[in-house]
Amino acid sequence: MNFFNTYKKQILYLVIALLIILAFFTVGRKSKATPIDNILGFIVTPAQNISTSVSSWFSDKISSFRDETDITSENEELKAQVELLEAENKRLSMYEEENKRLSALLDISQKYPDYETTGTNVIAKDPGNWFLTFTIDKGTKDGLAPDMALTDAGGLVGRITECGYIYSKVESILDSRSSVSAMSLRTGDLGVVKGDYTLMNDGLCKMEYIDAESEIMKGDEIVTSYLSDIYPSGITIGYVNEVVTDENGLTKYAVIEPSVDFKHISTLLVITDSFAQTSSLSEETQQTPSSADTQNQSAGDE
Amino acid sequence: MKRAVIIFIVLLFNLIFQSTVLQYFRINSVIPNTALAVIISIALLRGRLEGCLTGFGAGILQDIFFGNSLGYYALLGVLSGYITGRFNHNYYRENYALPVFLCFTGTLIYESAVFFTGAFFDGYLNYFYFLVNIILPEAVYTAVVSIIIYRLLFSINDWIEKSEKHKRKLFSIK
Repeated sequence: MNFFNTYKKQILYLVIALLIILAFFTVGRKSKATPIDNILGFIVTPAQNISTSVSSWFSDKISSFRDETDITSENEELKAQVELLEAENKRLSMYEEENKRLSALLDISQKYPDYETTGTNVIAKDPGNWFLTFTIDKGTKDGLAPDMALTDAGGLVGRITECGYIYSKVESILDSRSSVSAMSLRTGDLGVVKGDYTLMNDGLCKMEYIDAESEIMKGDEIVTSYLSDIYPSGITIGYVNEVVTDENGLTKYAVIEPSVDFKHISTLLVITDSFAQTSSLSEETQQTPSSADTQNQSAGDE
Repeated sequence: MKRAVIIFIVLLFNLIFQSTVLQYFRINSVIPNTALAVIISIALLRGRLEGCLTGFGAGILQDIFFGNSLGYYALLGVLSGYITGRFNHNYYRENYALPVFLCFTGTLIYESAVFFTGAFFDGYLNYFYFLVNIILPEAVYTAVVSIIIYRLLFSINDWIEKSEKHKRKLFSIK
């Protein structure tokens, strides 16, 4: 205590200098968690799991109490929708069959293969207001690895940045540090979907670097493009809300409304065929869907 | 030692609380910075050294579980603990105005620092927008929540200090 009082200033400067150096050296680390992280993870993660389940249970109870009156009408609406979707599903599966047959004739592999997935729960979210990252309850123990993509019902959520033994850290596509190579499904225009500090809290993101002459417009579906190293191609990201031409007049950007509701995410799917890993190994493995994607990718790069 | 363990448990509890339960209490998607309220309360109650250590602990936990680099939040925590620890000398613990006021201004400065070291370099130059939409609401929310946090930590601190006194007496009898 006396020692601290005499050398207060010096100790403080030393600590500050050390922390700045440490922060610079560890910036953007994304890989396996260190043993210390894992030990803390063993304490914190189960507690977060329980805490989230309890609070979401209460939240559900409260909202169901509030919505009870709407449920019957919603049920009818949903039934009608199910019928419609079933009909459409039948039609689409016919297309799929036809597509398979024609692809076999053309001898090309499927562009949108079925990915192997595993379910997981969100157990904690970033405790600040600047970023949108969260923790899921599976880690290297369940075969997850950094850079695997996550989806919710029908939409892209983000990617894993760091894996502990029983937990993983996920960076959502609304986070300002995230960028996803994307494509408009209707017109085929390419762009990059990025998180934005000003749009994040409204649950929106931005698609940048769209060609000024592209015919992208409101309502267009945006999917992940075949150019991405991390994300498998053809996953829905969201729909265009607004298209704005940049000040330089050469490019446009679009405000995207993700098809995932980031305020109410709980159960997610992890795509466990790590696209990044298979594409880096694709020189050895041939004729897998991902290697076909890599070929597409190099074609796209040219 | 007992004190260190208890404060570490408080910090762990705070991290878990902040990342799970408090997420359901976002007002206009703004969440209060309870970690900062804990750091400021302990710095006020116990002075600079413990303020710094608490700040370091809270920061490093946030770095490990949610941070981008190791040491960023720890640095901010140490600095907040050091600066607010200065007020430890001349105030009455029963006075709630100072902790609440410090939590308000502390959050303003803390989050502005986060803005100017992060978003500002990403090309978001409009500080005023973030001040109105994120920083000010967060500061108000934190100040309100800090009343509860300060009260809790006040009792915990009282309890630890009493047990420490008791222990010292036992030794002095011998």
